[in-house]
Amino acid sequence: MSNQNTRALATRIVNFIKELPEDRIQHYADFKNIQLQRFAKVANPSMKTEDTKKNDGLSLSDIKDMLTRTKSPLGLQKSVLKKFAQAVPQENWNETLLTQQLSALDSLKNNTYKKMYDVTDKLYKPEGNPQYYQRLYDEITGKSKENFFTAMRTVFTGK
Amino acid sequence: MLRNIVTQNSKVCFQKQAFDRSIKNVYSLRYQSFKKSPEEQVKESKLDSEPIEGNLNKYRKIKKNDKSQPEDLKLRENDLKKAFKPTSFQTSVASFLIKYLGVNVDRVRSGPIAGSYYYKECSDQGLIYEDDVKLSKGCEFFYNDLKLPKTFSQWYQIHILHVWILFVRMRAMPFDIGKNYQKKIIDRTFEELERKLKEEMNVRSGRFIDNYLKEFNSQLRGCIFAYDEGFYTDDYTLAKALWRNLFGGRKNVDFVHLEACVRYVRSQLYVLSKMSDRDFALGNFKFVPADQFVRPLSPEEYEEMKKEVIAKYEKIDNDPNTKPTEKSKLRYDN
Repeated sequence: MSNQNTRALATRIVNFIKELPEDRIQHYADFKNIQLQRFAKVANPSMKTEDTKKNDGLSLSDIKDMLTRTKSPLGLQKSVLKKFAQAVPQENWNETLLTQQLSALDSLKNNTYKKMYDVTDKLYKPEGNPQYYQRLYDEITGKSKENFFTAMRTVFTGK
Repeated sequence: MLRNIVTQNSKVCFQKQAFDRSIKNVYSLRYQSFKKSPEEQVKESKLDSEPIEGNLNKYRKIKKNDKSQPEDLKLRENDLKKAFKPTSFQTSVASFLIKYLGVNVDRVRSGPIAGSYYYKECSDQGLIYEDDVKLSKGCEFFYNDLKLPKTFSQWYQIHILHVWILFVRMRAMPFDIGKNYQKKIIDRTFEELERKLKEEMNVRSGRFIDNYLKEFNSQLRGCIFAYDEGFYTDDYTLAKALWRNLFGGRKNVDFVHLEACVRYVRSQLYVLSKMSDRDFALGNFKFVPADQFVRPLSPEEYEEMKKEVIAKYEKIDNDPNTKPTEKSKLRYDN
């Protein structure tokens, strides 16, 4: 599993992922971080991962969660979800698999499909609401923030 | 119209893009896979990327002819047209209303098209029926190839991905009509969700159902925002949005699967972008199955297709015998 070539390829993937841009806003799971950890382990098997604390006691939030049961999709308890998140996948890597992963990442980074299936301004500046995506993008990147009046305009007119 | 764009195992080649020398062999691999459909692309990867939690096969399969199922969801497409054929009296009343009382046909049409036809189209992509031995094309792609768990919330995620794809096209329609289409498809989604939770998932408490619906609503908002961001910016952001929502943030995700998904979404949007407003509003769109390759049209082919569509609708509009119920004010030349 951990021969020279797979390690070298995994290191390349790690370096590739490091160069990818950060999330514009914070989400519940960070793709870059999680995948970095995953491939760093392949690139360097001796590396120690952070130990997760074992805690069997129930906290107040756990009990609250049990009572409501609807905080997460269809009654999956938070403790179960946490277990999923902490589980470490066992994967057998080889060269072809890693090459495929790298090429897939590469084509995602290069916008292959956005260029291949170009939907033109018909969808990027839709007729019904031409500023829709531009406003959304400006808000996320912090270029221009919405103020009270533009917000109310959206509430009343929908645009 | 779809037939023009979709070609199975097409032999069209793509011009190689400028490539980086350091990963030359990677690109040669990529170059070959350009001609493949998303499903073939997924099958190429042999990585065992099943969800860590094991297969959650808890999803209660429903019978297609279940009593509780609404009429329009039970029937196949061909039967649907027969079953809901209006009588001549109904047609003449409708014609009177449209002609003399100024009822907007396009607004009225949004109900049956978006609320029934497009709803069914979206929901069927991930729905497993008990009495169908063979899975539908969409199910095969999502559950067998992408190895997603067969659960209720997974079905919902697949459903809203497709709803969002239609949303993008609806925004490009005239504002009030497009908004109406969006409203109708979401109304129907939540109506059905409530029914499904009650009758198929056996949730008895009304308060719990309300809580679930609120949860589903917030998921919907999050999804639409994340997909919109990905759609407008780049493939990588779209892939991240898909990973968080469709794949549930799974750690051991296969990047080839993500890539195929991005390709699937973008190809559907491409087909939609080549459709005229009128065509879309009349319900002539069907999702392209994942095992087919969408070939981008050359400008000449697009022009030709446009001419065909324009000729078709001009003929209908200029024909004095066309019923007012079949007319529409939407554009057909874009």
